[in-house]
Amino acid sequence: MLKIHELREIIRLIDQSSIQEFELENEGSKVTIRKPGHSTVQVVEQPASVQVVQTAPAAPITEQPVVQEKKEEVAPQPVVTAQVQAQEEEQLHKIVSPMVGTFYSKPEPGAPTYVQPGDKINANTIVCIVEAMKLFNEIEAEVSGEIVKVLVQDGQLVEYGQPLFLVKP
Amino acid sequence: MKEKILQIFKDANGDFVSGESLSKALNCSRTAIWKHIEELREEGYTFEAVRRSGYRLISSPDIPSQVEVQTGLQAKELGREIHYFGAIDSTQHKAHELAKGGAPHGTVIIADQQAGGKGRMGRPWHSPAGTGIWMSILLRPELPLYRCPQLTLLAAVAVVQAIRETTGVRAEIKWPNDILVEQKKLCGILTELNAETDQINYLIIGIGMNVNTEDFPSELRDIATSLRIQVGTPVKRIPLIQRILENLEKLYKLYIEYGFSPIKSLWEAHANTIGKRVVLRQLHGSLEGLAIGINEEGTLLVRKDNGEIEKVYSADIENASSPST
Repeated sequence: MLKIHELREIIRLIDQSSIQEFELENEGSKVTIRKPGHSTVQVVEQPASVQVVQTAPAAPITEQPVVQEKKEEVAPQPVVTAQVQAQEEEQLHKIVSPMVGTFYSKPEPGAPTYVQPGDKINANTIVCIVEAMKLFNEIEAEVSGEIVKVLVQDGQLVEYGQPLFLVKP
Repeated sequence: MKEKILQIFKDANGDFVSGESLSKALNCSRTAIWKHIEELREEGYTFEAVRRSGYRLISSPDIPSQVEVQTGLQAKELGREIHYFGAIDSTQHKAHELAKGGAPHGTVIIADQQAGGKGRMGRPWHSPAGTGIWMSILLRPELPLYRCPQLTLLAAVAVVQAIRETTGVRAEIKWPNDILVEQKKLCGILTELNAETDQINYLIIGIGMNVNTEDFPSELRDIATSLRIQVGTPVKRIPLIQRILENLEKLYKLYIEYGFSPIKSLWEAHANTIGKRVVLRQLHGSLEGLAIGINEEGTLLVRKDNGEIEKVYSADIENASSPST
């Protein structure tokens, strides 16, 4: 269970950060924090897709009705794909930064990176270092799977809770 | 065995210890005892041997072994367990290994010589035999993870105070925790953390200090210094190590009880970065501005020429060359 001061601290940090949505599962308890702005972003996306659907049949309007029907069938597809992609992204595990600091993808300049897309990892695999004030924090994956994407650049400042990697469990 | 013999002599506090009582206490022959005493003599210990009275320890060399550092140490937790090595690749590596094996909070690893001492970004650290303090301290703090970087500033305060108290050298702190004298590096501190999302497993503070280095390789001569160079005579490492551990324990308790504020004031009192124009070198490019202070997190605040204030979490810092010179 999270202590109340820990919860308060999490809320404070999320509030100050650019993080839109935050989920934490810990020993059976689950905390979800979502900023109001987040749902607005989703709503904005949907009319955009609808517009694409509408413009597609708009252009070939003089063509035969059969074709138009086909177009209408084809047109919704991008929407479905987008939803599937979003769902897929959602199903991917995000390794997030446990603190504010500088992201390093390798132990020292010139060395190979800890991990790259395609690499199989387990819970104890070190995926990167986050450093602040000469405190070096080797981040372990805490999940096993395959690295799909590295979301930040070497040397970039990362926020508390910022996603660093996408992992296919 | 050698350590046990030494401990008995330390406990005797300069009095004679008979060969018979030694062999009884350690359950071995007097010949074996004599061999170990000869080994200690080779390390630099001097004994007086008197027939029928036994042996008396007259003087000890400045070797920061477990027995030597623990004798007279005024710390309860830090240094309760000490692992000393004549030579090792890196005390930091050893500390990780011991930590993973369950070594307790306050365990200290000390080496007389390091073959693979490392600084920030894997830079090599010059650490030859007998000349420095190469030490790693294992802590198991019960703190939220985001507070841990502040411990690196705390460590710098502990070390700079210990240097002043034992040698009088007025060393200063360069943000976040390099220790300099006259702009030359005397001591580096590198801290490594092993944690999970909701729990800190352990934290290791690695300290590398140039103590009795008489001269540096040419590539380091302009940027490094030692206490011996500053003081002009050899400096004893053992009292310095003891004082570092004592200060660290004291400041750590202060920090746990009252938070970062008292540490921040002490850090600022010893800092040489604040109020200066600095160049920050980061992985991608550099940035120049006026270092105006640190905040309650320990983050360096730099005012850029356009007036914006940048929060700095990591960088190599140099004093900017003054435009007038």
